[in-house]
Amino acid sequence: MDNFIKENKTLQKKYDKGLMIRLLKYAKKYLLHLSLSIILIVAIVCIELYQPILIGNAVDNFISNYSSDSSVYSELAKQIDASGVIKIGVIYLISVLIVFVLNYAQAMLLTYTGQKIIYNIRMDVFKHLNTLSINFFNTNPLGKLVTRVTNDTEALNEMYTSVIVNVLKSFFVLVGVMITMLSYNVKLALMTFTVIPFIIIFTFAFKKASRKIYRNIRGKIAALNSFISEHVSGMKIIQIFSVEKEIFEEFKKENESLKKEHIKQLVTFSIYNPTSFLLNIVAISLLLWYGGNMVMEGIITIGTIIIFQRYIGKFFEPIQEFAEQLNIIQSAMASAERIFGLLDTEPEIKNVENAIELESLNGDIEFKNVWFAYEDEDWILKNVSFKVRPGENVAFVGATGAGKTTIQSLICRYYDIQKGEILIDGINIRNIKLSNLRINIGQMLQDVFLFSGDIKSNIRLKNDEISDEDIVDAAKYVNADGFISKLDNKYDETVIERGSSFSAGQRQLISFARTLAFKPSILILDEATANIDTETESLIQDALKKLMIGRTTLVVAHRLSTIQNADKIIVMHKGEIREEGTHQELLSNKGIYYKLYKLQYEHV
Amino acid sequence: MNGTITKENKSVAGFIKSKYTKFFLKKYRANYLFGILFLIIIDVLQTRIPIITGYVIDGLELKNIEMNKIGHQILLLFMIAISVFIGRIIWRYFIFGTSRSIERDIRNDLFEHLEKMSTKYYQAHSAGEIMAHMTNDLEAVRMALGQGILFICDVVALGTITIFNMVNEIDLVLTIVAVIPLLMIAVTTSILGKELHKRFASKQEAFADLSNFVQENLSGIKVIKSFVQENKEIEAFEKVNKNNYNKNMKLMRMYTVMHPYMQFISGLSLAIAIGYGGYITVYGRISVGDFAAFIQYLGMLVWPMIAVGMTINIFTMGSASLERIEKILNEPAEIKNSVNVRQINHLNGSIEVRNLSYMYPETNNYVLKDVLFKIEKGQTLGIIGRTGSGKTTLVNLFLRVFDPDKNSIYIGGEDIMDIPLDVLRKNIGYVPQDNFLFSNTISNNIDFGVRTSTEDEIINAAKAACVHDNIIDFKEGYKTVIGERGVSLSGGQKQRISIARALIKDPEILILDDSVSAVDTDTEEKILSHIKNTRSGKTNVIIAHRISTIQNADLIIVIDDGKIIEKGKHAELIQNNGLYNSIYEKQLLEKMLEEQE
Repeated sequence: MDNFIKENKTLQKKYDKGLMIRLLKYAKKYLLHLSLSIILIVAIVCIELYQPILIGNAVDNFISNYSSDSSVYSELAKQIDASGVIKIGVIYLISVLIVFVLNYAQAMLLTYTGQKIIYNIRMDVFKHLNTLSINFFNTNPLGKLVTRVTNDTEALNEMYTSVIVNVLKSFFVLVGVMITMLSYNVKLALMTFTVIPFIIIFTFAFKKASRKIYRNIRGKIAALNSFISEHVSGMKIIQIFSVEKEIFEEFKKENESLKKEHIKQLVTFSIYNPTSFLLNIVAISLLLWYGGNMVMEGIITIGTIIIFQRYIGKFFEPIQEFAEQLNIIQSAMASAERIFGLLDTEPEIKNVENAIELESLNGDIEFKNVWFAYEDEDWILKNVSFKVRPGENVAFVGATGAGKTTIQSLICRYYDIQKGEILIDGINIRNIKLSNLRINIGQMLQDVFLFSGDIKSNIRLKNDEISDEDIVDAAKYVNADGFISKLDNKYDETVIERGSSFSAGQRQLISFARTLAFKPSILILDEATANIDTETESLIQDALKKLMIGRTTLVVAHRLSTIQNADKIIVMHKGEIREEGTHQELLSNKGIYYKLYKLQYEHV
Repeated sequence: MNGTITKENKSVAGFIKSKYTKFFLKKYRANYLFGILFLIIIDVLQTRIPIITGYVIDGLELKNIEMNKIGHQILLLFMIAISVFIGRIIWRYFIFGTSRSIERDIRNDLFEHLEKMSTKYYQAHSAGEIMAHMTNDLEAVRMALGQGILFICDVVALGTITIFNMVNEIDLVLTIVAVIPLLMIAVTTSILGKELHKRFASKQEAFADLSNFVQENLSGIKVIKSFVQENKEIEAFEKVNKNNYNKNMKLMRMYTVMHPYMQFISGLSLAIAIGYGGYITVYGRISVGDFAAFIQYLGMLVWPMIAVGMTINIFTMGSASLERIEKILNEPAEIKNSVNVRQINHLNGSIEVRNLSYMYPETNNYVLKDVLFKIEKGQTLGIIGRTGSGKTTLVNLFLRVFDPDKNSIYIGGEDIMDIPLDVLRKNIGYVPQDNFLFSNTISNNIDFGVRTSTEDEIINAAKAACVHDNIIDFKEGYKTVIGERGVSLSGGQKQRISIARALIKDPEILILDDSVSAVDTDTEEKILSHIKNTRSGKTNVIIAHRISTIQNADLIIVIDDGKIIEKGKHAELIQNNGLYNSIYEKQLLEKMLEEQE
């Protein structure tokens, strides 16, 4: 068991390394920016380290002489020293100004790089998502996929801006401070260094504790928020069941436990901040005691004490940053793993090499002994064969689950079949370039999906080649212009989420216009079963008739009226074709279709 | 400068003046005072430190100090450090801890109030919007009550004590010239803070746009693929992505300047202190120790200056958020007991509807018109009709999800507007169309309305709803957590649990609102026959799309466009040859097809 865990851990490490390399690859393009940023950082650190020395020098060279009795010194000496001090003040000011400019430039360089990289990764993830097949979207929850493009990429940002270069900065500062202090006085430097291990131990222990508490708090907040949002959504149920009091008691309990966790966090932080203050004072005390002795003995100057005092303050920042950077790396790795996991998913349906490019299709369709299952051997279609000639209008009839809709998805090649062949214009669809195949087939789904935007953008989608006139023409042809022109903003009327402000029939008409605008040579239609008022219904029927002219049409029909006009009717049952022929032929057959027909009309 | 100050006063004053804030400040007065007291004590102590180090440095300089005197000073330093250490823990606990208590109190108030809000309120305010108030706004108010109050006290205490020490112990002119640049920090943080907030908001907006774009793209992926729009989508995404990048950069250009800028200003102060301070040291106005102490004091002033700017922003946001929260709390409850409510403890299940017409608030077309019917206690009512015909509205009025007019609906012979709300609802078991379940265990979901049922009672209800067998198939049986955090159930399983939840109440009136649509016909028959057998003497109202569900009802009403168009028993309605009959025939046909071998 132990072994297993260990193995897992090393595996994990290896994977992390791989992830890190992939993450760094994205940064490669910005190597110039990053190197420039490193150079700037070195310059900043050097200047910042030099600043305390300036103050120390001012004290030692010009000021400290005057403490005992200034009247001893001549006016001339005073003037020289005073101007020396002012000169140092000016130099200090210049150094501060340079640091300001360099700091800003450096930070912007990193921000730019980070944002660019995030932009690129996001582009890659989105592009990749759009190549994946329908099956992938059916099996992966939408919310998670959205998160990959949005929050997971966002989480990488800090990795590029706060870690990659800044780890070096923290390191430079710490080492720089130590070296400078050592160069002044080894013994005194070593004495003050004794607090460093305590700072390190303390900071990391605190980070660990606070991370744990933070995690608990996040969990509690998430739980409380989902409690609220769920109960707000279900408020009607709460009220109908008259359990407001009981639910409120539950809520109070959860709320109280979150508060307690917050107090715990508060106490942890309350101990950390004052402790670092305490350690700072310890270091200063050590400095004053040992340093004071040395000053008395004339080994070091007052200026050195002042320099050291300022350096001690610089111990804390880099160590705290190191701890923070480790956290960032950890969470970035988790996001990176999810992102790369998605990017490594291969699309199931792809163009074959040298796929055949077809400008247009004649509309000849043939299924040859097609077997298909979404999973394993769970056959949805069993040995299905049929032929449709260009311009023919074929209706599919059958119970739910008979395989009618599946046939439509297969023609557009949303799934690949396991056995048999599907031919369009005599060519196996696997060999036709996917985009050529799909653009020539107009597919109208049972529940119409409308995008947020306006009516125009829902008809032309994002195809700019379709002009405003084309849109109006298409809408007129399919009888959609009638209701659209009655809207306040006509074709610019806003469409809200999923088009919920339009009736099912209106949505259907918009989707007809959309299909027509793309001028397909094959039409595939899944008739809506939703309740559509009679007026709109007749508009739809009329539009359909017009749409079918000159196009091969496959309809999944739910109404006998639609079926009767078909050139051919295919009766499906449990994945097989049971009957095939014209209305008259099937009636004389006295099979399933005959029974259906009789049932329908006996009652009228 | 003047403008910002009056604004600050306004926002701080607005915040403090609110009755709600006053209530909390009073409730937690002792905690606040205690915390502030400790805050001031440690501010006083902290500002002694530079003086001590300055004293030591002077002594060293003049070489007139003995080592044991340095020792004394160090000991003093240590004692101060320990006191500050303890003091900080104490004030943090009292001030920040209190803000957490208030946060909890407000959250409780909000939730309790939300429970009183009617369905109409929830139709006008989305769950997302309410969540935003309960998270972001609450956070902003808490910040004002914790950090905000702390900053005010700290700025005042630390700022004045430090400046007082600088003037008193060191030099007035030096203090003035060195502190002036620091004031710039206070001014700029408050001005930039506002601009930053704006840029931050537009960055958030760009991110939300990006998120929505992806959401839309993935929801409509079928359409995109069938019209081969993938490349166009990618082009469009590039724009959205670019916009997000631009807004981020715009924010960062300003945000990134803040820290170096503050560093620069404090550096500027320091440079003045070195130049001018050094100069007056040379001429003997101050000592070297004073010089060193002064430099330390400048460092101590940087924080209060930043805090001034932040305080203004914290209170501006806090008072805007507080306003929104108070708006929710002041929203009156619409559905409540009427003034002439009668003391009724038990209802019998007869239902009479007298010429009921109803239109939803703020609309002007009737969803129900002249509805009139009556069923006796113990009978079953079937309701059928097209989607949107008004069936659900009718039963929602029974439950007073919306209020009907007086004298239009009578239950147990009483006008429902005179029945206490909780008595009315406790006596009705409702199975809604959307069968909403909570992310909780199955047994808690079934026991939702009773809360004291025994295990056996829960199992019996589940058996009656034909869902027991499914439940024990789960690994954790009745303890299985459902919903987001647990197992996801099929539509049919949800419906049956939701039926069990209503049955366990053994209510006088049971309402099934299209509640067996996702259950297969055999199971449906079992559930219905169970209801028939166990609920003798009790009333059932069943809304259905399938004729088979309601064909045995004592009374069936067919609703179309808000009106009862047919009324009677199954056999009578078939004879009628109206909408009921046509639905019946269509369903017969579908059934035939399904059963085809």
